[in-house]
Amino acid sequence: MSKYLILGASAAGISAARAIREQDGGGEITVISKDERVYSRCMLHYIIGGQRSEDETRFIEDDFFEQHNIRWLPGREAVKLDSAGKKVQLSDGETHRYDQLLIATGASSVLPPVENLGRGKQVRSLRNLEDARDIIRLSGGTDTVAVIGAGLVGMDAACALAQRGVKVTVVEVAGHILPLQLDQRAAASYERLCKKHNMEFIFNDMVASVVLDEDDNVQGLKLKSGGTVPCGMVVVAAGVKPNIDFLRDTPVDTGRGIKVNEQQQTSVAGIYAAGDVCESLESFTGQVMPTPVWPSAVRQGWVAGSNMAGRPVRLEDNFAFQNSMTFFGLSSVSFGTINPPGESFRVLVDDRGDAGYKKVILQDGRIKGAILQGDISAAGILGALVKKGINISGLENRVFELSYADFFAQKENGEFYFK
Amino acid sequence: MKRILINRELCQGCRNCQLACMAEHTEAKSVLMLDLEDPANQARNFVEADLDGRPVPLLCRHCDDPACATACMSGALRKNPDTGLVEHDRVKCAGCWMCVMSCPYGLIRPDQLAGRTAVKCDFCVTRPMPRCVEACPTGAITLIELESKGRLTKAGLPGQSLAREVEM
Repeated sequence: MSKYLILGASAAGISAARAIREQDGGGEITVISKDERVYSRCMLHYIIGGQRSEDETRFIEDDFFEQHNIRWLPGREAVKLDSAGKKVQLSDGETHRYDQLLIATGASSVLPPVENLGRGKQVRSLRNLEDARDIIRLSGGTDTVAVIGAGLVGMDAACALAQRGVKVTVVEVAGHILPLQLDQRAAASYERLCKKHNMEFIFNDMVASVVLDEDDNVQGLKLKSGGTVPCGMVVVAAGVKPNIDFLRDTPVDTGRGIKVNEQQQTSVAGIYAAGDVCESLESFTGQVMPTPVWPSAVRQGWVAGSNMAGRPVRLEDNFAFQNSMTFFGLSSVSFGTINPPGESFRVLVDDRGDAGYKKVILQDGRIKGAILQGDISAAGILGALVKKGINISGLENRVFELSYADFFAQKENGEFYFK
Repeated sequence: MKRILINRELCQGCRNCQLACMAEHTEAKSVLMLDLEDPANQARNFVEADLDGRPVPLLCRHCDDPACATACMSGALRKNPDTGLVEHDRVKCAGCWMCVMSCPYGLIRPDQLAGRTAVKCDFCVTRPMPRCVEACPTGAITLIELESKGRLTKAGLPGQSLAREVEM
């Protein structure tokens, strides 16, 4: 009987556990997680904003572990890997043997090298449930919060805090919010909405230091431009780093994350990695890179688990350049390249002001990027065309009305595909 | 599992399937009583015109590898291993639109009333046959039976007498 050990109980770890159980009914599966509960990290801002309870962020069945006969050991983490002895030592002192190991330990928020950022008592990131709890608690003690970074996590945190009635100032080094997901036009719609909800933005600027009182309580931010932001709390959303410290001095090969092949196998036989902790071949760019999006983590976990249980499958559709978001009721979806990178790209725009905005970037008859804001109802078609690099020559003039009817192809078993 | 097979050549674009779908998801379940102006009444299937203006019925595949469920970060979407159906739990759904972003065929959409949860085909689970299939007068949509790996085992399942008449 095979012993499967899974480190991490988020998107990748859970998906792998499902795949293993599907393939191997009798194998012994153990899931170890630092988290005390299973929850969706993408939904933490709903807890802060008051839309969801902690229970309501659980993304698996209530009886998931019992139903699939999986042993779950929460509240502990791997501290040491002995790949020769096929053992993992945990923070609780126990050692677990494995035949097949999956490392799905995710990533952690990084604190940029800003003076006093690490010292301030009211400085948090938003990555774990504990962070969400802290942010709620600390936001009760102040009426002004600064958010460093206007990416998806920063904006999620900022808007959720604004919904709690706190005055929020967002500091972003780029010229508009969500610079990796939206162009200036689409970002501007959100910036207007946010300002109506008592939020402020400082663009093209960076934080030089955090102003603290003698007890290390946060008083405000000093900016590189010389400006200041008074605040009683700081949320840092400046990126993440993979949780690979415990792999130091092991033969598991790492770059920006754990290196894996198309079967999610690491450089060591019997050890796999999936999700935010690894770097993998991304489908849109053809580059090996971290792919920190939920669908990639689920897919990679499934590929890892299948291979661990003896079913050889390869990673496909590892598409990281796709995002969906909703702030204050306005939804957007974007794919691929956000702004035309050169002269050879054509940009088509359908701008209806407050009623909606759509943009497509074309090169040689292929869609290289798209933004939909407002009406996102059939966004996935554009996503598929970007991901698959399908030539749409002759359809350019109806690019915003495209439906799958334009590509309809059906197999004998009724499945659709793109020719 | 069962899947709805599409024969686009037989589709006349009457949109009976859409009306049936909308009616089935109202309390009265009646096409006659259906308020077409109420945005709460939203079809989960579509008939779209292709480049030449010919109708193409588009209905959820309940895919073998459902991109919508893979992308779902709330646990609302799940492929039921027993029925093969991709089920959607509106209570769990957070309206994050990862599914809308991921479905390559555009067959799961935000609800057009509140825009808070996704709406997709539920295969009319309480009925022996999806109402759209029953309502199709031309046989453009029929049911097929598949084995668990997704291979076709049986086409033109019974209950589609109307369709056969038209074909003759």
